[in-house]
Amino acid sequence: MQRQSTIAAPPGTAVSGWVLRAAATAQLAAGFAQPVFAGVYLSGDFDGLAWHVVGADLVSYLGIAQVGAAVAVWVRVRRAWPFWASLALVAGASAQYLAGMDGALWLHFPLGVALVAGIAAVFAAVWARPLPRRTKAAPDA
Amino acid sequence: MRDRSAPVSRRRMLGIGAAIGAAAAGGLALSAAWARRPAETGAELRSEVPLPQAFSVPLPIPPVLAPVASTADGDRYELVQREVDAEILPGFATRLWTYDGVFPGPTIESRRGRHTTVLHRNELPVPTVVHLHGGRTPAASDGYPTDLVLPDGWNGHGGHSMADDRAAVANLQREYGFPLDQRAAMLWYHDHRMDFTAPAIWRGLAGIHFVRDDVEDALGLPAGDRELPLMIADRAFDADGQLAYPSVDPTLTGEHGVTEPYLAGVLGDVVLVNGAPWPVHEVDTGLYRLRILNGSNARHYELEALADDGRALPLVQIGSDQGLLAAPVRHRSVPIAPAERYDLLIDFGDLPVGAEVRLANRLGTGRTADVMQFRVVRAGERTPIPETLADDLPEWDRSAAAVVRDLAFRAGRMDDGRHGWLIDGLPFDPARPDVTARLGDIEVWRLVADVHHPIHLHLVGFRILSRGGAEPLPHDAGLKDTVALRPGESAEIITRFDGYRGRYLFHCHNAEHEDMGMMANLEIV
Ligand SMILES: [Cu+2]
Repeated sequence: MQRQSTIAAPPGTAVSGWVLRAAATAQLAAGFAQPVFAGVYLSGDFDGLAWHVVGADLVSYLGIAQVGAAVAVWVRVRRAWPFWASLALVAGASAQYLAGMDGALWLHFPLGVALVAGIAAVFAAVWARPLPRRTKAAPDA
Repeated sequence: MRDRSAPVSRRRMLGIGAAIGAAAAGGLALSAAWARRPAETGAELRSEVPLPQAFSVPLPIPPVLAPVASTADGDRYELVQREVDAEILPGFATRLWTYDGVFPGPTIESRRGRHTTVLHRNELPVPTVVHLHGGRTPAASDGYPTDLVLPDGWNGHGGHSMADDRAAVANLQREYGFPLDQRAAMLWYHDHRMDFTAPAIWRGLAGIHFVRDDVEDALGLPAGDRELPLMIADRAFDADGQLAYPSVDPTLTGEHGVTEPYLAGVLGDVVLVNGAPWPVHEVDTGLYRLRILNGSNARHYELEALADDGRALPLVQIGSDQGLLAAPVRHRSVPIAPAERYDLLIDFGDLPVGAEVRLANRLGTGRTADVMQFRVVRAGERTPIPETLADDLPEWDRSAAAVVRDLAFRAGRMDDGRHGWLIDGLPFDPARPDVTARLGDIEVWRLVADVHHPIHLHLVGFRILSRGGAEPLPHDAGLKDTVALRPGESAEIITRFDGYRGRYLFHCHNAEHEDMGMMANLEIV
């Protein structure tokens, strides 16, 4: 499926696109905060663990919100990749959550790094180009 | 084109995405293959002699020490710390450091509140200190690491790295006094010398000390041949059948610590129970009481009892480090860290005569996955398991805490720049007060670990309030004196500092960590 961008589209980003960008931005902030909380905790500050759990909850909720926004982008902007990318982040974050609860640090550390890289990549992708609303069916194929 | 830059081609985007994905997947695969799963803190020494077949050596039971005098005031014992050659591996004479010529040392049996005096005479080549682990002991007899008993002809300094003005040094012998005003429990005594505890325990300086009381007697628990003290300890042997240990200074008189690969802890590849490798013990189809101590320096075990028909027998926990629980807790397996104890009931009643039950270690690989075996050789009597146990467990409420302390147990650098293990960023210093607690105060301690650290407090027992920010685990029940923190884990404990004033300790009971700095002063005022 080839969706050649944008000549026929009106300029600017659709509302759904802005929601997606907001979710990705919030997720970026929460994602980068997680290793901070982990470092505070492992440095001996017991409260760091509670923050790390709050951060994990936040990343999870934001991930789900981002999937919702990405569905809207798929419908309105006719772009599917934000949906699949957001879904992959939610799957990764869920595995990360379980690995953390289980104390499986062999998984938790590298997966955490990969997740933050993924969050950063998606953030860059959704901000790199406008996500304009398509009024008519875009030329598929 | 509205974009000023040329559009990134779809192929390039896919390529970048694939590269990030490949890096993540490669990292995960590497971690999965390389990291120890489950996590293990320490490095294993390999024995250089052929090891005996598992379950061929009979389980020894350490002899019970007879008092040299028993009066209305209490019991008096005398022990000699000395070297012996003992046959641990069949066909080899292994040089050991022992209490009274046996490993484990002779078992001492005491009654609650009945004063026990133990005279220790040091005939070893190095200074020693005896600590009764789990004992509610006045500071003068608690075995502070610089309260050395020097051997005959010792003319060096204490051999340890720090000066300590408060050290009480004795020549040749010392009398340790134990009021034992505490709940019935299985305690253990072991060497606690500054900087050299780990190699001294490794060479054999450890023994069991029971405290009995009326609460325990009233329950009619299995006794005599049906109560088995089991000290589990791993060791490794060199090509001559001698104990292998990677000391920086094998004479244990100069530089402390172990060589670099073993800084996280020394693990052996031979599992000893009461000093015998993978022993076997004959039982009947009755109920048995297993008093298990992990006397290993660094190895953790997760014990399960597997019958030869593949079933796992339930392990019914009735007690913890500091005595009986309020009610039994049934486990399929129990994790046990260095210095922890379990009081377990195991019922062989559903097995036929001839059955074999393997006490296995789920954390082990290869031969360390085995611990010992029970062989059912005759019919026995069925005994019911009591539904309630002790009603004398202390209950402390979080809201009553006078102080809440955060303590971090982490890797770091010692003052000399060598790798060490630190509490709140500091290596042990006898001269520095770390925690000062008021006698009678209730305190909550919040402990955070980087790798496995079994944390032990002298003088007091404690309850575990939470683990990893959540409820304690089923095996955390009862009164503890050692809490096993797993990598990245934290726990909250609560205790009341009562008993005696004076200088005590808390420390990691990974014995190598303990020698390399992970110990701190606990001053009760
Ligand atoms: Cu430790």
